[in-house]
Amino acid sequence: MLVAENLVKTFPGVRALDGATLTLQPGTVHALLGENGAGKSTLVKLLTGVYRPDGGRITLDGGELHLGGPLDAQRAGIGVVHQERNLIPAFSVAENIVLHHLPGRAGWLDRARMRAEARRCLDLLEVDLDPDTPVARLSVAQGQLVEIAKALSLDNKVLLLDEPTASLTGDEADRLYTVVRRLRDSGHAVVLVSHKLEEVFAVADTVTVLRDGRSVAEAEPLAGFTQGQIVDLMVGRAFASIELAERTVGEQAPPALRLDGVSTALGHRDVSLAVRPGEILGLYGLVGAGRSELAKAVLGLERITAGTVEVHGEPARIRNVGEALRRHRIGYVTEDRKDEGLFLEQPVTRNIAVTVWRRLARAGLVPDRRERALAETYVERLGIRVSSPRQLAGQLSGGNQQKVSLAKWLAADCDILIVDEPTVGIDVRTKAAFHELIAGLAAQGLALLLISSDLPEVVVLADRIAVMSDLRVVGELDNDHDYPRMSQQIIRLVHAETHVEGRVSAA
Amino acid sequence: MTLSATDRVTRRGRHLWRTPEFTLGVIVATGFLALAFATGGNLLSAGTLEAFFRFLAVPIVIGLSQMVVLAVGQMNLSVGALTGFCAMAAAWLMIEAGFPAPVAVPAALLLGLVAGLINGALVVLTRINGFIVTLATMTIIQGLRYGVNGPDTYQGYSEGLRAFGRASILGLPAVFLVAIAVAVAVALFFSRTVTGRQLLASGGSPFAARLSGISNDRSVIIAHGLSGLLAGVAAVITVSASGSVNATIGDDLLLPSFAAPIIGGVALTGGMVSVAGTVLAAFLVRLVDVMQAQFGINPRWVDLIIGAVVLGAVLLGTIRQRVRERST
Amino acid sequence: MPLWANPRVGLVVLLVLLVALFSTIRPAFLDTRLTLTPLQSDISVYLVIGLAQMSVLSLGHMNMAVGRMAATSAFAMGLVHHTLGAGLLVSLFTGLVVGAGLGALAGLIISRTGVNSFVVTLAMDFALVGLITILYTGVVDGVAFPTMPAGMEALRFDTFADYCAGEICGPRIPLVAPFALAAALLTGLLFRWSRVGREILMTGSSPRAAELSGIPTRGRVVQAHALSGLLAALAGFLLAANNGAFSAGIGDGFLLPSFLAPVLGGTLLAGGAVSVLGTVLGATLTQVIYKGLNLLQFQLDRLQLYIGLVLLAALSLDRARHVLAGRREAAP
Repeated sequence: MLVAENLVKTFPGVRALDGATLTLQPGTVHALLGENGAGKSTLVKLLTGVYRPDGGRITLDGGELHLGGPLDAQRAGIGVVHQERNLIPAFSVAENIVLHHLPGRAGWLDRARMRAEARRCLDLLEVDLDPDTPVARLSVAQGQLVEIAKALSLDNKVLLLDEPTASLTGDEADRLYTVVRRLRDSGHAVVLVSHKLEEVFAVADTVTVLRDGRSVAEAEPLAGFTQGQIVDLMVGRAFASIELAERTVGEQAPPALRLDGVSTALGHRDVSLAVRPGEILGLYGLVGAGRSELAKAVLGLERITAGTVEVHGEPARIRNVGEALRRHRIGYVTEDRKDEGLFLEQPVTRNIAVTVWRRLARAGLVPDRRERALAETYVERLGIRVSSPRQLAGQLSGGNQQKVSLAKWLAADCDILIVDEPTVGIDVRTKAAFHELIAGLAAQGLALLLISSDLPEVVVLADRIAVMSDLRVVGELDNDHDYPRMSQQIIRLVHAETHVEGRVSAA
Repeated sequence: MTLSATDRVTRRGRHLWRTPEFTLGVIVATGFLALAFATGGNLLSAGTLEAFFRFLAVPIVIGLSQMVVLAVGQMNLSVGALTGFCAMAAAWLMIEAGFPAPVAVPAALLLGLVAGLINGALVVLTRINGFIVTLATMTIIQGLRYGVNGPDTYQGYSEGLRAFGRASILGLPAVFLVAIAVAVAVALFFSRTVTGRQLLASGGSPFAARLSGISNDRSVIIAHGLSGLLAGVAAVITVSASGSVNATIGDDLLLPSFAAPIIGGVALTGGMVSVAGTVLAAFLVRLVDVMQAQFGINPRWVDLIIGAVVLGAVLLGTIRQRVRERST
Repeated sequence: MPLWANPRVGLVVLLVLLVALFSTIRPAFLDTRLTLTPLQSDISVYLVIGLAQMSVLSLGHMNMAVGRMAATSAFAMGLVHHTLGAGLLVSLFTGLVVGAGLGALAGLIISRTGVNSFVVTLAMDFALVGLITILYTGVVDGVAFPTMPAGMEALRFDTFADYCAGEICGPRIPLVAPFALAAALLTGLLFRWSRVGREILMTGSSPRAAELSGIPTRGRVVQAHALSGLLAALAGFLLAANNGAFSAGIGDGFLLPSFLAPVLGGTLLAGGAVSVLGTVLGATLTQVIYKGLNLLQFQLDRLQLYIGLVLLAALSLDRARHVLAGRREAAP
């Protein structure tokens, strides 16, 4: 029995886990649920030795575990399939499966033993894959199965699956869960982290719900809950507590941004959307539905193969972000702030002023004074907590980083803003502040396209909600901010689609 | 010769014609035949052919020496200087210290290995970019190389060693066969040994390797050690084949050491090797060299052509990859 | 960051100590005519070549062809003088254009194909090394141009002390020094204050974030490499002035020092940050060591050995300082 008690983990500026508890019985499938940023991935990483806890303890069959690294967890019999793929593409299936303990004889790779061991693990899963195939040739789903086989190759008794079906089709997911049930029946303890509640209800026995880094339900039988109750547990906050600015949508004005029958090289088909000035259009969808990619296509970073994009009623052919910014005043706050939104090694001033150097410059030179004044304006306006505007962006907490990432578009005076997953990995208080900020921007007359997989966020903020699934817009709803009703409708839209058609791969 | 992880596929022959090594092989074979024709068969005469292969040995080994560090995503700028230093040390041992060749040869190899291990340890301990670390050690080794005998030349050492340098087995120079044996050994190391596979795993995706309990630091140190050892081998080949050595040995090896693996299709990002590609690329460079000698062209054209070939090979590789990405 | 954690301070201290050491052992080290003036000429050349490398390090790129870009530009300078009888300024200008063009070509190939800058410039180095000898053989049937534009002699031998306004003469600073100083100031201005320079640094810091912030990243890559080529050409010109000839050998020894100066000065290979002042100090330090050890009649081998050791030591110290500073910051 694996028990994690009162685990605490702090990152600069964020308390990711604040007393999380998880109890695992052999022979069960245990669902670990929570909103984005609730601390699920952090908990998984603590249990597998990737991070070390700042407080609390982990015990296995009564003995305390000190996990100093991934190897320690493996030795303790805890296997994991992380959300990111961790296979080596050039290596064969067999080699990837046994990578932690490549069998050797006097230093030479024992290929026969390697193949036999890989076969054994694949047979456990009843998967028919040639162990000699290079992993690069596998589909995403096959790769996922190889990762599970890899996690099983050490006779692990505990298996953690972090969002295993995020990139699988309905059929593939079904097959995966057949495997999970078989593992449970053979006495494994399986932890399943997933956003997809229907799948969770179909396969899991018990559930732990995390909220704000704490366990709000601990190892309770899942049968005692309805999906709605689980969602309430996960969300748990009163919607009325957020005071959103009153605003009027310019119904008469032409849409600030309109997509008409847009298809892309990535496989988006016939996407039509429109956002008016002063309006927030929510674009809801699960990870992998193609929302961010659609935004990037609008900015000219992905190829549009059919359809038109109009900005303020004029057809626009945007080739890059610079053009989107300067000619059409469109800004894009990326979901991946670490890689795409910020220059982590650069000071906050430059991170904010990067879009407006052209405006600040005098004869090609940018005076520090003007740059600093601009940065200070936004530090104050958005309440960014910095020790000095010269502080490096990488040293800020997630919420403040996100504000910096937003500030550069506000500084550039955009009137159309595409905001992609603005509150991922941000604690609840900052999240509320962010929501007020976004609503405030709309009240000032900006047109906002809010991309989010956070249902409550979309329901609270958006005026209308477009639902995206499998690279298509599958429906659009007028939002009356009645959460239970809206969320039911949205979830129905998402699932209706996945079950009827299956998913088209983004490649 | 087998190649990293793609070997199984190539052995099955399913996509053999699609591999960069195959393209390179065809180019080399065509070039060789064309040159043989153009010289009226002169290239195929015993003496010319032997010289052709004798001076191919060092480029092959030095290319492999660079390739093993590229496999883990590192670079080794000290290969050339180290080859020269090991060669001078071996000659010093025989002439000044009076040791016989059977002592001097292993000593030179050991010296290369140790220098390589030091490179690796410095990279791991200081966490400074390998390019810079080996740039610094290159300078130091150049100093040491010069320190052995100043500007003077060593010659007249071990007759046995020089005889080995001149020897031929079945019409192929012994030193060339040594180089081929080394290439086979390196290929086997990367395709068939546990350590070799771990090196490639570290180079290909360090994070995944770490999660699988592979020490990336260990991989870096081993790769540098092996690179040094191969530089030692190149030194021994130089000492035996050239009959005299001085402090300029190795000066002209650095750039070719990169050219061979890069033309052979090895990526600088690490995670893959191509022994066949590297050997064929060295062969190709040698062809250009001989062509120049045969036709009395300005030797400088060789560099110009090699530069064009390196760039061409890389561009071809990029285009090939783009086409492949589009087709899947 | 505390003062001691600034790598530039360490360099200055080291520089002062070395100068004190050398001048104590060999008072001749402070002899203006014998040592200090030639030292300044050398520093000028290696500073400019260091700046040439620094320009692409800002992107996280490398320019392995700095030496050959310098040589090709020097050839162009010699050629326009030799065949067209061009004067000093026209020759210099032509050379700078050729250098910038070569750099831009490298940048263009890198940004269009996505091939690693190391490989592209290495291939370019190979190609140019061949081309240069062929060109020299073809044009002058030798390894150097026989004549130089008027004024090059003055650049070689004169110092400002040779130019007097009435009673007041200039200091004993060689005429080439202002070229290097101007290059350093302009490069510093570019990276510190200009929009283009800052955008180059942002591109080096994170190419993806730069693209998504509306920076034309491909253009910036080409511009940084063009600047590198331009500075390499200037270094080639200064070396030709110091040597007294446009020759094929110019640039042969540029590669190592081009990395030494910026790296010693605290510019990282990772891109996103440069230090012009550090490069000035780095170039000065290496040339002082060369000159000092030369005066102490060290053999070439010792010289290289010590330069290598100094580089390793300086970098390791810098690393240690970095770690310590990080700990200090994390502690409270």
